[in-house]
Amino acid sequence: MSERILVVDDEPQIQRFLKPALKAAGYDVVEAATGSEALKAVATAAPDLVILDLGLPDMDGKDVLTSLRGWTTIPVIILSARERESEKIAALDLGADDYIEKPFGIGELTARIRTALRHRERAAAGPAVITTDGLVIDTVRRLVTRGEEAVRLTPKEYDLLTLLARHAGRVVTHKTLLTSVWGPAHGEDLHYLRVFIGQLRQKIERDPTQPAIVRTEPGVGYRLVIDL
Amino acid sequence: MTENERDDSLRPDPDALLALAEKDRRGKLTVFLGAAPGVGKTYAMLTRAGRLKAEGVDVVVGLVETHGRGETAALVDGLEVLPRARIEHRGKVLEEFDLDGALARRPKIVLVDELAHSNPEGSRHPKRYQDIEELIAAGIDVWTALNIQHLESLSDVVAQITGVTVRERVPDVVLKKADEVLLVDLPPTELIERLKEGKVYLPESASRAVDRFFRLGNLTALRELALRRTADRVDEQVVDYLKQNAIEGPWASGERLLVCVGPDDLSEKVVRVASRLASGLNAPWIVVSIERADREVETTERLQRMEALFRLAEQLGAETRRVVGNDFVEEILKLARREHATQIVIGARRNRGWRKFLLPSLPDALSRKAAGLGVYFVTPDKTEKPPAPARFALPGIASYKQSVLIAVALSAATAAVGKLVYVFAELPNISLLFLLAVLGAAVLGGYVSAFIAAVLSALAYNFLFIDPLHTFTITAPHEVFALIVFLSVAIIAGGFASRIKEQAEVARVRATALQSLYEFSRKLSTAGKSDDAIWLAVSHLQASLKRNIVLLLPDKSDLRVAAVWPPDTELDVTDFTAARWTRDKQEVAGAGTGTLPNSRFEFRPLMGPHGLVGVCGIQQSEEQLGPNAERALSAILDQTAIALDRARLSEESLQQAARLEGERYREALLSSISHDLRTPLATIMGAVTSLRQLGDKMEPESRDDLLESIEEEGGRMSRFVSNLLDMTRIEAGTLKPKSDWIDVSDVIHSAVERARKYFPGTVIETGIAPDLPLVEGDSVLLGQVLFNLLDNAVKFGGEEPVNVYARRDGQDVLISVTDLGKGIPPAEIDRVFEKFYRRGKPDGRSPGTGLGLSIARGFVEAMGGKIQAESPAVKKRGTRIVIRFPAGEAAKAEKAKG
Repeated sequence: MSERILVVDDEPQIQRFLKPALKAAGYDVVEAATGSEALKAVATAAPDLVILDLGLPDMDGKDVLTSLRGWTTIPVIILSARERESEKIAALDLGADDYIEKPFGIGELTARIRTALRHRERAAAGPAVITTDGLVIDTVRRLVTRGEEAVRLTPKEYDLLTLLARHAGRVVTHKTLLTSVWGPAHGEDLHYLRVFIGQLRQKIERDPTQPAIVRTEPGVGYRLVIDL
Repeated sequence: MTENERDDSLRPDPDALLALAEKDRRGKLTVFLGAAPGVGKTYAMLTRAGRLKAEGVDVVVGLVETHGRGETAALVDGLEVLPRARIEHRGKVLEEFDLDGALARRPKIVLVDELAHSNPEGSRHPKRYQDIEELIAAGIDVWTALNIQHLESLSDVVAQITGVTVRERVPDVVLKKADEVLLVDLPPTELIERLKEGKVYLPESASRAVDRFFRLGNLTALRELALRRTADRVDEQVVDYLKQNAIEGPWASGERLLVCVGPDDLSEKVVRVASRLASGLNAPWIVVSIERADREVETTERLQRMEALFRLAEQLGAETRRVVGNDFVEEILKLARREHATQIVIGARRNRGWRKFLLPSLPDALSRKAAGLGVYFVTPDKTEKPPAPARFALPGIASYKQSVLIAVALSAATAAVGKLVYVFAELPNISLLFLLAVLGAAVLGGYVSAFIAAVLSALAYNFLFIDPLHTFTITAPHEVFALIVFLSVAIIAGGFASRIKEQAEVARVRATALQSLYEFSRKLSTAGKSDDAIWLAVSHLQASLKRNIVLLLPDKSDLRVAAVWPPDTELDVTDFTAARWTRDKQEVAGAGTGTLPNSRFEFRPLMGPHGLVGVCGIQQSEEQLGPNAERALSAILDQTAIALDRARLSEESLQQAARLEGERYREALLSSISHDLRTPLATIMGAVTSLRQLGDKMEPESRDDLLESIEEEGGRMSRFVSNLLDMTRIEAGTLKPKSDWIDVSDVIHSAVERARKYFPGTVIETGIAPDLPLVEGDSVLLGQVLFNLLDNAVKFGGEEPVNVYARRDGQDVLISVTDLGKGIPPAEIDRVFEKFYRRGKPDGRSPGTGLGLSIARGFVEAMGGKIQAESPAVKKRGTRIVIRFPAGEAAKAEKAKG
């Protein structure tokens, strides 16, 4: 049975192309134009994933997200404009799984959908071994290897890498990284992150100047790229 | 000097170092000092300049008089000479030093001869040394020449020695502040030799004075003065050097002079003597005047005299103080102690008239009480006139003659009444009646009157009531005693009464001034805008000073006249120059000052808490402002400055608010534009990528729908972009509609046609009157207007039909577009034509750009029409937009048709 996706957007023309496109990609599509319709649809139609536009006529997209997170862990992908950066970060911190900027290509969106859905399954299955660009992260044995060689990481670097790996394929905000690795008091200490990500890349990337594993999401956070 | 102080002095004196640092930023002044004309100052100056020029220093000649002497002229030849300014003065054209030219040229060193020169009327400064000060302040080094006889403090000595009074004088401070003084010396015999050979240039007219001047004795004396002055300077420099380098050494004598002056003739001499004394002792000196606390109202003459005296003292390098107090001796000693004065200099003036016998003179009293202080008396010259009697003219207090009359009349009346009473009943204390007369005289006629009345009463009492009667002799000794007691009581009581009266008068004058000031500040506090404050200040100043007043405000880099009172007051070029000076230097300038005295106005800076806020000009007249007026003036100016500053701040905060509003508006605009562009773009991108990547998995209908959505969104974007362009054209004012005769029905039909194509499914009904005249306009623009209106009507009209009507209405052609949507709330009906105004989000349809109606208005108005919105339009629903154009004249229209 194909997975069901709820598209929440008040722009009819966005709905107009998303519906046939997602259908063609093999998903079931449910539509909602307002926040309240969206909340109702999540409860009644039982979708597997929500695509949520932040600008809704009746309520703020972030409020919709907060309501959802009160009772479900359903993956949510945020649709937003590039200039509304702070909103985007706030939504991610509120528990959105990922975001995509308008305008976007359908391939990009389906890739995000796949990652989010897979992550949901994996979260149910427990931690696993993650492979990316030849790098193997084994969270059970606490081992990071490239080929035959073990990569030596400091405890902080390891924490950082595993946190990214747990959310592999999805963006993790600066705040999340800082508060989980350094503690709640360091939510704003962005310079820690810059230094440690730099060190980490030196150790795990093939070419640290062109990182292929830990990607920067400008102004938002970092994303660990995985082989799909 | 104590042990402690010595330790302190081992550190470099911070004040001395500070003064040095201040000097570094300014230009340096070099003075070539000579004893008399002809010693070769100019020659020395030019020779030195030539040498520096050869070394590559940027030295130019600002002004040098060669007087046609070949050797001097030859020296000038090698140097750059600045062109002179030509100034018209009384029909003659004078060539003068061009200060602005020199400032603009900005050489390293400029040569300006004749430091003591007076500039012609109409120059910026009356004296050349002031020009030079400005050059130095601008960082230009100046070389100049000076003869010792022109030095202010020496002018009386020079006059004594040579018998020639020098009119062009230079304040000692100028020489004192000079960074370098070069003495150009020539023995007097040689100078006289040169004079005989005709090598010294002298003006024809002065030949007789010259003979008197160039005597061996005179020249020798002047030479000594010049040598001594230079030596003093060298000494000071040594001391300065020692101080700056913390070398313990023989400091200045440690003397400090306190110089007491008053508004009498002797005081000028006191100041000059004190100046020489001070420079001989190398001691600082303070010139002080003491004003009686209870005598508020001084005569203008005395005030002017004091003002002139203080200016002289300051020019000679003194500090000046004004002290208020009743006991002169006490105040002087108090100040001497506070200022650590070691010597007091005072004019040895004796008391005049009756005071001579009753009161000790000020110098006597001072010398008795000044324990430990040296007191230096300056005696008057024999020829000196006795000083004018000090008279006080208080309003409400009688003049001298009047006081005598009052005293005589009161005494006589009392005597008559007393005699009358005496006839009927013998009163034991008839003298009390006379006391009444004295008090009456004191109140009515003041102190003098009281004194005269006391003496007259005593005489009358003796004559009429003391045995033997009708003689001035007294037989009983106790009567003599009684008379003396009476006289003393009368004088003392009279004195007190008159003083109380005076004080009451002073208090009244002050209260009036305060009242007026209070009124002003109360009015000022209600003046919110700076314009109101300015007008208040100007009219109030004019009312209280009775002078023409002008107030100027800074306007970018210049000043503009903000208000004048009376309104016909005008400023000429000189006035403006003085006002600008005041603005630039924040100093008083114009009439009565050292800067641009040719202006008719005195300009004062208005200093607010954040610097200069304006300049106030007060037209000067013969009469100077009294101290009360002066006080009122500065209080009013202070208040005005604060009010202007406050007004400026509140205007700035308003501007700030407007700017913030503008920023918010721009932000809204930006997000609106980005939304309107991004939504169709997102649709197009999404649809295209979907078709490319997933197209083969789609139903054919879905593919068609996606393609159609791409087409529609493309159209929407293109409309939006052309709307933006239209708006830009309207805003930039580059919209130039063609002026043709257009058939309105034609334009309506094609616009409706287009709208039907864009919005299929919407019913558009038209009703066009058959006799519609032509109108003048641009058919393309009108078509666009109608399309925008239809677009709006379709968006907001819901499922209801849209109506377009056109008919003739009097002289107008009227076109209306009506929808039956929700309508516009009355509060917002005026805003619909504003840019980016939107009526909420219409149901189920794409939102508008918020530009359609404002573009429609822009186009209609550009074509000379009118547009307005009405809501509700029909049965409490809907919106109607009405356009009116003036109908073309039938004949013209026919011709155009034909």
